[in-house]
Amino acid sequence: MKILVIEDEIALCETIVTYLEEEGYRCEHAGSVELGTEKVNLYEYDCMLVDIGLPDGNGLSLIKELKKVHPETGIIIISAKNSMDDKIVGLDMGADDYLTKPFHLPELNSRIKSLLRRRKFEGKQKLIFDKMTIQPESRLVQVDGEPIQLTRKEFDLLMFFVSNPGRVLTKESIAEHLWGDFADAADSFDFVYSHIKNLRRKLLEKTSVDYFHNVYGTGYLFSL
Amino acid sequence: MKLQTKISRRFLALTFLVFSIAGVLFYFALGKVVDQNIREMLNSRQAYILLYLQQNPLLSDSLVSPDHSIFIKQVDYLPEYKHYSDTLAYDQDEKELITFRKMSFSVKSNDRYYKIVLLQSLFESEDLQMVIFSFMAVLFGFVLFALFFLNRWLSAKAWSPFFNSLSVLSAWKMTENKTISFDHTGISEFDQLNSTLEIMMRKIQADFVNLKEFTENASHEIQTPLAIIKSKLELVLHDKALNDKQHQQIHAAFESAIRLSKLNEALLLLSKIENKQFVELTEIDICQLILSRVEYLDELFALKQIEVVVNLDEKVFLTMNPMLAEILINNLLSNALRHNIKNGKIFISSQNQEITISNTGEQTQIDISRLFHRFAKQVTSSESNGLGLAIANEICKNYHLSLEYSYLNEMHQMALKQV
Repeated sequence: MKILVIEDEIALCETIVTYLEEEGYRCEHAGSVELGTEKVNLYEYDCMLVDIGLPDGNGLSLIKELKKVHPETGIIIISAKNSMDDKIVGLDMGADDYLTKPFHLPELNSRIKSLLRRRKFEGKQKLIFDKMTIQPESRLVQVDGEPIQLTRKEFDLLMFFVSNPGRVLTKESIAEHLWGDFADAADSFDFVYSHIKNLRRKLLEKTSVDYFHNVYGTGYLFSL
Repeated sequence: MKLQTKISRRFLALTFLVFSIAGVLFYFALGKVVDQNIREMLNSRQAYILLYLQQNPLLSDSLVSPDHSIFIKQVDYLPEYKHYSDTLAYDQDEKELITFRKMSFSVKSNDRYYKIVLLQSLFESEDLQMVIFSFMAVLFGFVLFALFFLNRWLSAKAWSPFFNSLSVLSAWKMTENKTISFDHTGISEFDQLNSTLEIMMRKIQADFVNLKEFTENASHEIQTPLAIIKSKLELVLHDKALNDKQHQQIHAAFESAIRLSKLNEALLLLSKIENKQFVELTEIDICQLILSRVEYLDELFALKQIEVVVNLDEKVFLTMNPMLAEILINNLLSNALRHNIKNGKIFISSQNQEITISNTGEQTQIDISRLFHRFAKQVTSSESNGLGLAIANEICKNYHLSLEYSYLNEMHQMALKQV
C-alpha cells in the first residue's frame, strides 16, 4: 500500500511517515503544492494525506488535481484549521475524511485502514485477528463462526484496537476515538476503563485469550 | 424622537413665542396710537370751545351739549388746570355702560371763568383696536401654519440624503464582505459624512478580515508545533524499550500537550464567536438537538449511574448557527454531567419557551457572578478547561438568548430562553 503525505511541517511529516512505515505502508512525502502535484501526476497511490495550509498554496487544489488523474485514490485531509468551510469544501471535492490537528497517530492509522477497506474492498473485506473474524461493514464479530454480541461503542473500540495491534494506545486517544469532542466531557477515562473491561470479558468468554494488556496505567496494548 | 419631529416642535414653539411677543407689543402699540388719536381729538375740540367762548359768552350758568359730550359751567373763580381721566357712563345707543375719555379743564374768557368737561366715547376706538388685533392674530396664525409645513417640507428635503445614508448603514453587515457606496448628494457636509463612513466601513471590513485571518493563522501556528510535540511523544510512548518511570513521565508530558491543544482550540472558538465569525443561520429544533445529544451521551450517564429525566413536549425553536447550537448544548450537558454526583439526576424540560437543565450536585464555591467568566473553575482538573460556560454564555449573547444559573434544593439549574 502506498501513501502520499503532503505536509509542510517536516517534523510532523517525519513522525507520520515513521508511524505509517512501522505499520507496513510505503510512504512518500511532499512539502508543497508544486511537489505534490508532480508526485500525483507521476505515480499512483492508494491514499493521500493532505494538509490544507501549504506554503505555496491551498491543499484543496491538490485534491482537485488528484481527482482528475487518479480518482480511485483515497483522500484524508489533515488540517490545523478546524474550520467548517474547509471541511465542507474538502469533502465536497471528493475527500473521504477530515482530521483536525493535533490528532492521535493510532486514530490516523485506523482512519486510513477503514478508508482503504472501503475503497479497495468496498468494505466487504473480513478482518481476521487470531480467532476473531470481523466484518466491519455489517459490524459483526465472530469467533469460530459464533457471533459475539457487542454494543456500538464496544465494536468501535475493538476496531480501534484491531487497527493498531501491538501498539500502546493511550487512554486519551481511546477516549477521543470513542467520544470525539465529548472526550473530556466527564471522567472519560473511567468510561474507557469500563468499556475495555466489558469488551475484555466478552472476548475472553469466547476466545479464552486475553488480548488486552495494561501498560503502566497510561494505556492499553492489544496483542496476542 | 425623530429628527423631523424634534425640529418641527422646536420651530413651532419658537415661532409661537416670537409671534406671541410680537402680538402683545402690537396690541399695546395699537392702544397707544388710538389713545394719542383721542387726545388730539379732545385738544382740537378744546381749542374750538375756547374760540367759541371768546366770541359767544355764555348766557346761562351752564351748558350741556345735546349728545352729552360737552359740559360747560360758569364759576366765579377757578385756577387754571387741565387733566384727563377715564369714566364710565351710560350710553343711550348702546344701552350699556361704556368707557369715556374725560378731559376736564378751566377756561378764562372775557373775565369769566368756566369749568369745562369734554367726554369722548372709547367704544368705537376700542372696537377698532379689537378688530385690527383679531385680524392680525388670524394672520399670524395662518403664517405660523404655513411656515410650519414649509419648514417640514424643506427639512425633509434637506435631510433626505442623511436618511438614505442611515438606511444604507443599517443594512450593512460587517461580516458580509460587500463593498458599499453612497450616492453623491451634492451637499458638502453629507458628502463628507458619506465619504468618512465609506472609509471607516472599508477599514472595519479590512480589520475584520485581518482579525479572522489572524485567529485562524494563530491557531494554525500553535496547533502545528503542538501536533508535533504530541505525535513525537506518542511515537516514544509506543517504544517498548521504555521503562516504567520514563513511560509515565512521557505520558504526563503527552497529557499536558493534549490539554494545551484543547485549551488553544477552546480559546480560538471563543474568539471566533466573539468576532461573530459564525454567519450561517438556521432554525433549530433545540429539543430535537438535546434528545440526540442525550442519546449520544447515554452510556456516559449510565456509567456514572445518573438518571436523566427528559420532558421536552413543548417544542422550542431557535434561529442560530447549527454548529454553535450543538456546542452550546454539548457544553451545558457536559457541565450537568461533570458537576454531578454518583447516582445523581439530571432533569431536562421545556416550558414557556424556556429550556431548563438541572442536575444534582454540591454547591459551588465559585462566585456566581463570575460563573460565566473565563477560567472560573472550582478545582484545577485536567478534565475542565474552565471555558465551557464562557463559551456557552458568549454563544447566548450572540443570539439574544439568556442563560441563567441558580442553585435550588441542592440542584444546579441552567435556564435558557429567548430574550
